[in-house]
Amino acid sequence: MGGRKEGLEVSLMGVNKEPIDVLIERQQKEPETVAKERLDIILKAVELKVPSRVPISGLGGDIMAYYNGKTWYDVCYDFEKAREAVLSFAKNFPQDFPFILAPYGLEGFIFALAFSDFPDFSNIIRFLTGPVHDIIKDKWSRWPGRELREHQHPQFLGGEFMKPEEYKQLIDDPLKFIHDVVFPRACPGLGKPKSPQWNGTLIRIGLTLQRVASFQGALFQELGKLGYPAIPMTSAYSPADIIGDFLRHPTGAMLDMRRHPDDFKAACEALIEHILKVATAIPPTPPLTISFIPLHLNEMLSPKLYNEFYWPYLKKVILELVNKGYKMFIFFEGDHTPHVDTILELPKGWGVAWFERPRDFIKDVWEKLKGHTCVMGGVPTNLLVGGTPEKIEEYVKNLLNQTKSEGGFILSTGIAELPKETPKQNIRAYINAALKYGE
Amino acid sequence: MSSSEEFVNAILELEEEKALKITRERLEAGEDPLKILDDLKVVAEKVGEKYEKGEFFVADLVMAGEIMKEVSELVRPKLKELGKAREPIGKFVIGTVEGDIHDIGKNIVVTMAEAAGFEVIDLGVDVPPQKFVEAIKQHNPDVVGMSGLLTLAIESMKKTIDAIKNAGLRDKVKIIIGGGRVDEYAKEYTGADAWTNDAATGIRIMLGWVGGKKV
Repeated sequence: MGGRKEGLEVSLMGVNKEPIDVLIERQQKEPETVAKERLDIILKAVELKVPSRVPISGLGGDIMAYYNGKTWYDVCYDFEKAREAVLSFAKNFPQDFPFILAPYGLEGFIFALAFSDFPDFSNIIRFLTGPVHDIIKDKWSRWPGRELREHQHPQFLGGEFMKPEEYKQLIDDPLKFIHDVVFPRACPGLGKPKSPQWNGTLIRIGLTLQRVASFQGALFQELGKLGYPAIPMTSAYSPADIIGDFLRHPTGAMLDMRRHPDDFKAACEALIEHILKVATAIPPTPPLTISFIPLHLNEMLSPKLYNEFYWPYLKKVILELVNKGYKMFIFFEGDHTPHVDTILELPKGWGVAWFERPRDFIKDVWEKLKGHTCVMGGVPTNLLVGGTPEKIEEYVKNLLNQTKSEGGFILSTGIAELPKETPKQNIRAYINAALKYGE
Repeated sequence: MSSSEEFVNAILELEEEKALKITRERLEAGEDPLKILDDLKVVAEKVGEKYEKGEFFVADLVMAGEIMKEVSELVRPKLKELGKAREPIGKFVIGTVEGDIHDIGKNIVVTMAEAAGFEVIDLGVDVPPQKFVEAIKQHNPDVVGMSGLLTLAIESMKKTIDAIKNAGLRDKVKIIIGGGRVDEYAKEYTGADAWTNDAATGIRIMLGWVGGKKV
């Protein structure tokens, strides 16, 4: 803990340094120590123990892309600029659980699923990137400098690429259906199946993925030099969200639950084994391998629909992976309040639950799950955007006082999407307060 | 139970086939199609109540909206045949704000607002502030709705409301912002009159506004 002492000396010398400045210095001067500390507090939190300090997370989004003068177009299409943006943000706004430092990727699990028999690259093709979008011209996503203006955030839109009467084909052979029917509809860049264009485009995707992967590897190494721990992460998905996000559009999926209930359930069941193949492509390595699932339809469903069409299949995926030794990391999008109790059906210490916008974080989430689930969140993103440093400090202090003695808590915004106008002093106030009151 | 009550209940129970069957029967029996549309306003109000009580969720709104749309489509030709038109209860301009192209929420609002009797001017997605200002000048709406899913949408909402203020139009309209990530902070920050995370509550707030105005 030499760095801590050093920080103390600096302040004793009368130099007006805040806790965040001390950490910024330490993570550059002694990155290995800081990375170890970070991994340790994350592990403790995941294992529902009390860490030496509550881990900080949830900073990213526009603010990262724009922090040193880049645009979204730069970050999505120029890896050198993406690297600069990520590193300068990571340097100046230290956080402990840094999984979001990859702003150039968008939801693209359908590709991981489609290539789930190829464990060597299914997790690399899992996130869509601008360069791959340029090749396949997929209709699921929109990109800056392409369909969007250069300063606009890349956006996942989804769409309807399967008709309700095609459920049977999906159920019979999900991968064949995705390759034969969905890809030709959703990715005009691929051309006709088996055509020269189709084959050539697949090779071009491979070449591009190699560039993406080597860029990512290099970026993570450099993040390591800033004290960011390397935590292996794989991807899984909620079966019902595959249908909503990539095949039937969320609206279509919600209507199908009423109009084609049996088809919907059979399709969810059929997708599970392929989702698990993607998630297990990277074997679990001690002390911690995370499997990430972002939920989408969850908050839109009544408990009745959730418990019938969504949760049983998601639960199967989670249980299978927890049994294999992964810790799950699940983003509960929106207001998950009505479904929080179902989480208690999972084994204690199953992983991290990140809540975006529960009605009352303490009452609806924390009080119910503490001691069972590692809970992440608690800070409304809009507080960082529109609040003052004083308000933020007061809020974080109050939140940490209610949570830290229990352990199993990661401080975070509800979603790591801070707009570029977010005042820098507010982000600093957030980190400062977390460092001051989180011990 | 009157056919009207039965009809309203069928939609609130999300019984699609039954609601459409009653609609056809009512039209065949020669009932005034405007009466059926009035019932849809009742449905919109009750759907909002159910949502607020926690009995309805987005998936239920989607289904209810779908049924209301199908009913309106059945009624429309009959209305035309009789040379009748529905008197709108208010004018409503809506769009997804600049920088955001998500429209699931907006489309539910449009469907429900139309069913509730609003004349809806849908500006689409990624709508710049100036386009909202022009639409207010052109259509003179009672309510302006700004939708957006992304966090950055909140900044766009603020810019749009500022542009409306600068054009001297702020006092002429009620403004509601909606989307998964808006909240009380966002309402204060943007200067809107109301906020909502869901279409049904939004429609209820709007019905309250135009009701108050017209009485």
